[in-house]
Amino acid sequence: MSRRFIVEPRGLAPWWLKLLIPIGSVIAAMILGGVFLVITGNDWIEVYQKMADAAFGSGRGFAETLVSATPLILTGVAAAIAFKMLVWNIGGEGQLIFGAVVAAGVGIWLADSTPQVIAIVAVVIAGAIGGAFWASLAAVPKVYLGTNEIITTLMLNFIALNFMQYLVLGSSSPWRDPEATQFPQGRPIVESGRIPEFFHRLDWGLFIAIGVAVIAWFVISKTRSGFEYRIVGDSFDAARYAGIKVPKKVLGTFLASGAAAGLAGSILVAGILGKMDPRSLDLGLGFTGIIVAALARLNPIAIIPVAILMGALNNAGPALQSIGVPSATVKILQGAILIFAVAGEFLISNRIHRPDPIAGEAKAEPEAQAA
Amino acid sequence: MNESVLMLTLMAGIGLGTPLVFGTVGEILTERSGILNLGVQGMMLFGAVMGFWATFVSGSLWLGVLAALLGGAGMSLIHAFNSVTLRVSQIVSGLALTIFGTGVAVYIGKAGSDPLIGQPSKAVFEPIFPEALTDVPIVGPLIFGHDALIYLSWAIVAAASYYLFHTRPGLTVRAVGEDPASAEAAGINVSKVRYIHVMLGGALAGIGGAYFSLALVPSWQDNPIGQAGWIAIALVILASWRPWRALWVAYLFGIAGRLNFTFQTLEINVPATLLDMLPFLLAIIAMIVLTSGKRAKFLGAPAALGIPYYREER
Repeated sequence: MSRRFIVEPRGLAPWWLKLLIPIGSVIAAMILGGVFLVITGNDWIEVYQKMADAAFGSGRGFAETLVSATPLILTGVAAAIAFKMLVWNIGGEGQLIFGAVVAAGVGIWLADSTPQVIAIVAVVIAGAIGGAFWASLAAVPKVYLGTNEIITTLMLNFIALNFMQYLVLGSSSPWRDPEATQFPQGRPIVESGRIPEFFHRLDWGLFIAIGVAVIAWFVISKTRSGFEYRIVGDSFDAARYAGIKVPKKVLGTFLASGAAAGLAGSILVAGILGKMDPRSLDLGLGFTGIIVAALARLNPIAIIPVAILMGALNNAGPALQSIGVPSATVKILQGAILIFAVAGEFLISNRIHRPDPIAGEAKAEPEAQAA
Repeated sequence: MNESVLMLTLMAGIGLGTPLVFGTVGEILTERSGILNLGVQGMMLFGAVMGFWATFVSGSLWLGVLAALLGGAGMSLIHAFNSVTLRVSQIVSGLALTIFGTGVAVYIGKAGSDPLIGQPSKAVFEPIFPEALTDVPIVGPLIFGHDALIYLSWAIVAAASYYLFHTRPGLTVRAVGEDPASAEAAGINVSKVRYIHVMLGGALAGIGGAYFSLALVPSWQDNPIGQAGWIAIALVILASWRPWRALWVAYLFGIAGRLNFTFQTLEINVPATLLDMLPFLLAIIAMIVLTSGKRAKFLGAPAALGIPYYREER
């Protein structure tokens, strides 16, 4: 029986395809979103123009886009370095939140007189440690007991979320602002712990995030440790034969991934927010980071532009409401982009072609000779 | 504890637990066939809005349920295509479904000149038996005091359990979830089985979502379901992939969800946010204690869960 198409796995996909899939995913998602907009009686051109204008149309708009992109770069790196090693850390959300909790804790505890540099470094590093600790709750059982990390990291997201809400909304913990009696909110961190802004609401945290992405790229592609990491990501067995301690590598990657997500939390606390507040941290930044990582095809450098794109979408949402279009349009687009991007991975890892009748005969011939 | 408070807590717990029963049993069917679908939250929310919309337009509750069922199943088809036909990452595809479904549901609720948001439902599921029966103390309300969807959920639990463990097609599903290669060798169409069960899971998640918008909180809000979809994924583990256990753990968490209110009535002070943490915390502990390493079989996790299946021949 002849088939119309043959699908077979391929080794290396051509570079243009790796570029085409993410771009194609965005375009396909915009078409799908456009269909949605038209069905519900909106002018899709107006909507997309409004979004582009809000995200890139002015200096302030672009600054807001970069503000939104900053945590996404970090949660994107967090997802990418884990996924590349087949560590399914989908707990970026929880690691970000717990990072924010620890960072805010340190920021509240520090004395007002702490020198600025020390205070900022302490708060920022505290977030990374908090994120790594939260990741360890899933990483240690995975490495030493074989517990599947998909479910544990997912569940830890909600535990962290509820814990944060408990600290501010459900108790009189040090994280709660004693002066806010009407509506409970987070207590501001020490002023010297705040990362300075340099344009509009944009602060230096952006460069910390970009720096982390570049370091991740450098370590993975230019160092011996990164080389071992790539071997483990390709095949656990091959790595074991090469004498690499796989459990140690997996644990290290998992913790680094958590630290990156925690860093996103501390940069929010030390930067734009100035406190840990449940209402402003319940944003799905961890999950959006997974979209970023998938669309960037787990490449840390590509994460930077992709995070800016996703930041632009997040930033454009509220602007849509001013023209009477639900801001959920953004979520539809982001979800659709991820659906297309993950489906596109099929084209990257497989080759589809029509059966070649001549090649088919040529293949049959040696068999006939052997018989 | 006061008897009426206890009764109210139990009844409300069963109500709150019902969407979890639908969602959890649906995900059990999906996972038993070897596919992990993390899109339950998105499918539920989409089912909630479709059910609400259809009832809003037609006035018929059962058309609402039908729309929710079709909506959830339709949404799950995306995941089935991605994970069975294209064999790409089930984890990322499921998360994509959640993000997409949430966006679509919230969008539909707000779209148009006369949006659904804030509107009360045109019809609401209410207890179906006459009061004479529910007046019997204790047993009356617990057995006869419910709406039609709760009885439907009982029927689905019983049917799903019988199907999985006492029928030949059910055995086929479990075989596909345990060892697809052997199942294929025995002449089973693995892809077909997986498609069907991913869509069954989607359909049930859709109905579970509609239970929020047509019974529990019969009006449209941005997110009437809270985190129910995620809780359902956790409950699958606590139910160890068995439908009857899903019913009990779902009610247990329904009651836990109601405890906030009960504690307030009894003037016991337990922070609501800590109680909300419980299902997730218990699921992790169950995961670590019961499913680690060689003990995974003890709980009943399908061996091929989440692993793409490639047929040998090409």
